[in-house]
Amino acid sequence: MRAERQQSLRSGEAISVRGLHVGYGNTRVLHGIDLDFSPGSFTALLGSSGCGKTTMLRSLSGFVPVQSGSIMVGGRDVAGLPPEKRGMAMVFQSYALWPHMTVLQNIGYGLKLRGVPKAEIAAKVAAMLEFLGLSGYEGRKVTALSGGQRQRVALGRALAIDPGILLLDEPLSNLDAKIRMTMRHEIRAIQQRLGVTAVHVTHDREEAMTMADRLVIMEAGRIAQVGTPEEVYDRPASAFVANFMGAENILPLRVEHSAGGASLFAGDAAAELPPALRDALPAGRAMAYFRDDVARLDAADAPSAGDLVMAGHVAARAYPGGVYRYRVKTDDCEVTVDDATRHELGAKVGLRIPVQRLHIFPASEAGLAA
Amino acid sequence: MAPNMLSQRQLALILIAPGLFLVAALFLYPLGFSLISAFTRPDGSLTLEWFAKAFELYSGDILFTIIIVVTSCVLTGLAAIAIAGTLTLGENRWVVGTLRALYRWPLFIPFIVAAQCMRTFLAKNGLMNNTFVSLGLMEPLSATSFLDWRGIIATFVWKQTPFVALLLAGALASIDRATLEAGRNLGASRPRVLFELALPQVMPTLLVALVLSFVTMLSVLSVPMMVAGSQPTMLTVDMAFRINAYGDYSTANALGVITYLISAGAAILYLKRGLAKEGAP
Repeated sequence: MRAERQQSLRSGEAISVRGLHVGYGNTRVLHGIDLDFSPGSFTALLGSSGCGKTTMLRSLSGFVPVQSGSIMVGGRDVAGLPPEKRGMAMVFQSYALWPHMTVLQNIGYGLKLRGVPKAEIAAKVAAMLEFLGLSGYEGRKVTALSGGQRQRVALGRALAIDPGILLLDEPLSNLDAKIRMTMRHEIRAIQQRLGVTAVHVTHDREEAMTMADRLVIMEAGRIAQVGTPEEVYDRPASAFVANFMGAENILPLRVEHSAGGASLFAGDAAAELPPALRDALPAGRAMAYFRDDVARLDAADAPSAGDLVMAGHVAARAYPGGVYRYRVKTDDCEVTVDDATRHELGAKVGLRIPVQRLHIFPASEAGLAA
Repeated sequence: MAPNMLSQRQLALILIAPGLFLVAALFLYPLGFSLISAFTRPDGSLTLEWFAKAFELYSGDILFTIIIVVTSCVLTGLAAIAIAGTLTLGENRWVVGTLRALYRWPLFIPFIVAAQCMRTFLAKNGLMNNTFVSLGLMEPLSATSFLDWRGIIATFVWKQTPFVALLLAGALASIDRATLEAGRNLGASRPRVLFELALPQVMPTLLVALVLSFVTMLSVLSVPMMVAGSQPTMLTVDMAFRINAYGDYSTANALGVITYLISAGAAILYLKRGLAKEGAP
C-alpha cells in the first residue's frame, strides 16, 4: 500500500516569488520579496510578530491578495488565482478540522472534491492514517481527538491530495512542549519521505532550525537573511539577525586600524582583530553581539591570550541547570554569561570573550537592533 | 448551614415572585382559561364539539396555514443563507458593505406596516406591475394582483429573512475562519464551502431561528388580513372572525389549540434533531 502511495505522488514543485508587494488597505506589509523555493526543500519563514511572515504564507496560498509581483508555480503565475485553484495544501495553527465530520470525511474531503470514487477515498485515507500512525481512526469524531492527533489529521488532510507544495502556518504552536518536539521530527520525516516542497512559518527559532534546511529571516516586510541554519546562526548578515538568532549580549567597541592590522577596544580591554574581519570593519565605533555561552568567567587579572578580557563583577546569578547563568557588570555594559564554576555575588571577575565568536557590526548599522 | 440555605432559597423566591406573578396572571391564567374553554360546554361538561366545528369549517384553512408557514420558512431559510453566506464569504467589498447596511432594515418595520407596503407593491396596479409594464416586460392587460397566498408568503419572507440572516451571520462569524479557508485551500468553491463546511457547523442556530420564525408567522394576524383578505385564509383571521362576528370564543379557542399543536410540532422536530445529535457517539 505504501509503495503504491509513493508512486502516485507528485514530487515537490518549485515556487519562484518575484517583487511581491502585499498590503492591507494603505498599510504595506511586504515590500518587494524575491524568493525561490527549490522542489522538495523545507524552508522556514522566521521572524518576530508583525514581520510579515504569515502574510507571506497567506499570499502564497491566496488568502491575501497580491498588490504586485508574481508567484510562479510549475511555469505559471498563480498570484491572481483564488485559493482553490492554486493546488497548495495548507496546515493551520488551529488545525481547522471540520467538527461535523469524522476523521475519514476530513481527510477524504479534498479527494471527494476531485471526484475520487468512495472506495478509493476509503483506501487512500486508510493508507494515510497508517502513514500517520492513526490506523483505525476513520470513524472517530475529530472533536474526540487529542491536540497531537488533530494536528496529524490536519496534516493528513493536506497531504491526501498529493500536493506539490505544503504550507505550514505555525502548526505546532497550539501543542504542548513534549508533543511539539515529536511532531517536529514527524513532520520533517514525512516531508522528506514524500519529497514535497514545504514552507513553514514560525516564530520559534529552535523549531525553525531543527526542521528546515533553509531559513528565511524576515524583518519588517523584507528579507533580512536567507541561508542554512548554520549560516544564519554562525554568520548573521546583520545586527538584527544576530540579535534575533539569540546573540542578545551587546558590547560597544572601538575599532582602530594600524599598519600591522586592526585592534578592538572595549573599555580598557584590547584585542587583535582577526584578518578576516579586518577589511570588513571600518575604523570607529562598532557593536559586538554574542550569545550567553560564548563568554567565560576568568580571574580578574587573567592574561588576555588573544581574547578580549574585561574587568567586571557578578551582579546576579541563577542556576538553570548544568551551568550557572551570571549577570556580569563591566564599566561599559551588562551582559549575561553561562559558566560552569560558581562565583559569589559581587566577586571581581575577568569576562573573557573570544574575538572570533563575536558578531561585530559598525555602529551605524547596528543601531537598529540595539 | 441549613437554616442559612433555606433563608437564601426564600430570598430567591421573593426576588422572582413579581416576575412569576406576572407570568401566571398574564400568561398561564389566560392560557389555562382558553384551554378549558376549548374543551368544555358553557355548562362545564367536557366536549370535543368545538374541535369538530373548527375542523368542519376551517380544515381548508388549517392546511392553508401550514402550507403558507412551511413554504415561508423554507424560502426565508434560503434567502437568509444567501445573505449570511454572502456576508461571510463575499469578497467584493462593495457588495458585502451594501448588503450589511441594508439587510437589517425590515427587522425594524412592524408586520402591519410591512403588510401595507406589500399591498401597494404587489397590487394589480401596484409598484411592481407598473415597473414591469413601464420597462416593457409586461402587457398592462396581463397584470394580475399578487395579493393572495403569494402576497402573504412574500411579506413573511421579506419580514423574517433579516431576523434569520442576523442570527445566521452571527453564528457564521463566530466559527473558526480557518475551517473555511482549509476548504478553499483544498479546492472547494465558495458555494461548496458554504453548504458543506460552514452551514453544518451552524445548523442548530439556523434551526432555532427558523422555529422562532415559524411560530411568529403562525401568530400574525395583520398580514393575512390586509394582504389576502378573502378565502382561504390563515387561522389567526378565522379566530378573529369567530370572536368579532359571533362572540364564539369556544371555537376560536379550539382553533387556538390547533395552532398551538402546529407550533409544538415544529418545536418537537427541532428538539428531536437536537437530541439525536447529542446522543450520537
